[in-house]
Amino acid sequence: MDVKFNTKLRQTIFRLMDAEKHFIRFTLNGAPCELETPADFTALELLRDLLKLRGTKEGCGIGECGACTIQVDGNAVNSCLMLACQLEGREVWTVEGFGDAEDLHPIQEAFLDNHAVQCGFCTPGLLMSTKALLEETPHPDRETIVKAISGNLCRCTGYQQILSAVEDAAGRDPKGDD
Amino acid sequence: MENPYKSIGKNIRKKGALERLVGAPVFSADIELENPLVLKVLRSGRTHAEILSINTEKAIAIPGVVRVFTCDDIHGKNLMGIINRDQPLLATGKVRSTSDPVALVAAETEQAAQAALKAIAVTYEDLPAVFDPQEAMKAEAPRIHEDGNILLTRTVQRGNPDHAFKDCHRVIEKTYQTSMIEHNYLEPDAGTGFVDEDGTLVIYASTQNPHYDHKEVVSLLGVENNAVRIIQAATGGGFGSKLDLNLQGFIGLALYHLKRPVRCVYSREEAYLATAKRHPLTITMKTGVDDQGKLKAMQATIICDTGAYGSYGIAVASRAAVHATGPYQIDNVDIQSHCVYTNKPFCGAMRGFGTPQIAFAHESQMDLHAKDLGLDPLEIRMCNAFNVGSVTATGQTLSASVGIVDCLEALKPYYEKAKKSWLQSGSEPHKCKGIGVGAMWYGIGNTGTKNPSNARVEMDEYGRVTLFTGCADIGQGSSTVLSQIAAETLGIQPDNLRLVAGDTGLTPNAGATSASRQTYISGNAVKDAAEKLAHALKTEAAQRLGVAVSTLVLDSGIVRAPASPDRQVSFADLARQIIARGESLVFQGHFDPLTTPLDPETGQGVPYTTYAFACQLALTTADALTGEVTVEKIVAAHDVGKAIHPQNVIGQICGGVAMGLGFALMEKFEPGNTLSMKDYHIPTCADMPEVVPIIVESEEPSGPFGAKGVGEPALIPTAPAILNGLANALGKRIYALPADLESVLETSIASGHFGPESTSSS
Repeated sequence: MDVKFNTKLRQTIFRLMDAEKHFIRFTLNGAPCELETPADFTALELLRDLLKLRGTKEGCGIGECGACTIQVDGNAVNSCLMLACQLEGREVWTVEGFGDAEDLHPIQEAFLDNHAVQCGFCTPGLLMSTKALLEETPHPDRETIVKAISGNLCRCTGYQQILSAVEDAAGRDPKGDD
Repeated sequence: MENPYKSIGKNIRKKGALERLVGAPVFSADIELENPLVLKVLRSGRTHAEILSINTEKAIAIPGVVRVFTCDDIHGKNLMGIINRDQPLLATGKVRSTSDPVALVAAETEQAAQAALKAIAVTYEDLPAVFDPQEAMKAEAPRIHEDGNILLTRTVQRGNPDHAFKDCHRVIEKTYQTSMIEHNYLEPDAGTGFVDEDGTLVIYASTQNPHYDHKEVVSLLGVENNAVRIIQAATGGGFGSKLDLNLQGFIGLALYHLKRPVRCVYSREEAYLATAKRHPLTITMKTGVDDQGKLKAMQATIICDTGAYGSYGIAVASRAAVHATGPYQIDNVDIQSHCVYTNKPFCGAMRGFGTPQIAFAHESQMDLHAKDLGLDPLEIRMCNAFNVGSVTATGQTLSASVGIVDCLEALKPYYEKAKKSWLQSGSEPHKCKGIGVGAMWYGIGNTGTKNPSNARVEMDEYGRVTLFTGCADIGQGSSTVLSQIAAETLGIQPDNLRLVAGDTGLTPNAGATSASRQTYISGNAVKDAAEKLAHALKTEAAQRLGVAVSTLVLDSGIVRAPASPDRQVSFADLARQIIARGESLVFQGHFDPLTTPLDPETGQGVPYTTYAFACQLALTTADALTGEVTVEKIVAAHDVGKAIHPQNVIGQICGGVAMGLGFALMEKFEPGNTLSMKDYHIPTCADMPEVVPIIVESEEPSGPFGAKGVGEPALIPTAPAILNGLANALGKRIYALPADLESVLETSIASGHFGPESTSSS
């Protein structure tokens, strides 16, 4: 019953690639990262299962919910739809690359201050989409914000406090380059 | 009005938000245990069948497969269910729906577990199945459970409706249909577990009710109470579905036999297939009014399709019956609500327990009567609304905190303004605009049954306070609210209070996070415990300071006598002294709302101590040519008693409106067709209107600082308001949810928007 959606995809990948494992190098949250990954792993599996970075969530596995959103070369992407091998040479940011509890990033602060976190399962993905948006468009209007985060589903908040948080974050001074 | 409180009514930082914002591994699937086995469930895929044999030999032979469990491995009672026990953890003898679990695989790897699922050979003999609840009610229908397919009929009778209908000026009868709904919390169900050094089976679970999980796992395994400990991991939404024992039983079974760490994580597809849904309701409702629009009588038949198992079906059928009148006094009622088994996946609790469905019916009836009599929708609600002293359909006299008229009044300026300006604006003739109103009432806590909560407050010798509560915060913010209540009572800052929540090994039973009950019921239990500690501190301080207990106050960790500023003593001093004498500062709190069981024949009784009330306004635009509906604004007035944390209340209201919008316009779970999130659409931020939340505080005397609840009420009026708006926009009403593109277009065509030749006569 519980056949993963990408079983066929995986078989195709195995046929196309001559090895079951693949060595990749990329930048993860500002630091170099080198490791061997199963060739059929998604970027999400690489993060959660190999690197044990559990901040990025799996909500649907098919790119519908946005809970697994990470930032790759500046763009917000669904890590469940990207192969780990595709991270080769790229700059990758995950929620773990934001500030920690004692030193929050302005986006995290804005989410906290605007009560934009309820269950919190969608939160890491939303933070990443917000980061990608504000790096490209530092002062977006409401419509642009809605477009940027409409791929991140939330079942708790009804989005209003999240939209306020993103607007608020846009008005705060980002610290440095991250 | 100035807030007299230090913590109550303040938007303090939400407990648990920080760890989620930094991506800490707090959810069940994030927890890292050493070398856990993977658990996978084999589900029947048959709608109704006898199991002739289960052969696991080939599966067990697969390298990496450790064990395959069937019902024979369950040494306790293989039946689950919080109200009626009818659901086996693993099928015994027959299966009643495609999602019924037949076997459980424990394997070293995901791949081995998946391979084992395919290798298990189950021989079935199909039985006739029934999917229509009205068919299932017939005597000749296939029997799904031994005692028949009608699980419960709840009757609420009062006055003499037959007689009253004869005297009515107008009578309207319609049939309403709601759809099966998936909760679609963002976190698919997950859990993990290990056996600790004492041999206790420790289970981390995504759950709304750890103490129920505990009771059920103990019963399944046939072990002593202290052999199992449930710890609520961070829970990524629940909305009712995580009240069932979704996978805690599987984890318990594997731990019991294998004594090794295990992990069970549902894919979204499995969460869709295997967990409860919102009951689809078929409601036939007849109401009669006098020439002023005053409701005189109601007759209603409600059929709740609970699928293969009861889960919370009995509560849904009961609550739908009790709430059928809406927040209006009707002296003559006859309501029959049937909870019926079918061979669909089971339905259970979902935010509102039947009230969102029944509100769609009673609020449509209100607008039908208003239109029929040429009355204004707000006016007809105003003239029928409950007040203090009103008597409900169950014969309960409402004695306080009846804020429905306040909610209606709060909407009025928005309503008038929308009528004058918004409705008149815009020039595209195919964009049909309509304003809709929807109201509701909602009883806080379980229906006519005991539903206590317990809490414990402790102070150590340094004067530090710890609050222990079994209450599961699933995102709604109960941990924050309960901390505020304890802190206010003790005169300390919520940040200075340690909280231990949702752990059956450490915390007292607070009951389920359901029925919008935790702020009111657990809030009172917490307040009770904190008051006992406050009293002990004051008593000790009174002796020490030589003043009367009644003159003392608690303020920022100090007990002081405001009349004599030099007389004060710190909590730490008092605690040290008390504990040094060998006494403890540990206090239990308890609260159980005063209710009486509903009479089985007439449904008369006091099902709840208090009710929340609400009314919402929807500005709705329908494109008559495409069927596309845009909700432009929702104004939501909610009587919550007292908002302990206003931002939290607003969060509930906005989230409820989103779920209500999905219920109204887009959500429909079709067993067999709805397999993954590509098949089921919940609102995105692009679907959401501006929401204007209005908090109405009609304080409840029995509530903690006057509070009631808001979690479920937030959702209930939304679909009625949108559907009433749509009816006004299109000039024709939709009686089945969701009002999706096809349904709106069909209604648009039927109401003549495509010209006279296509006008339907209906």
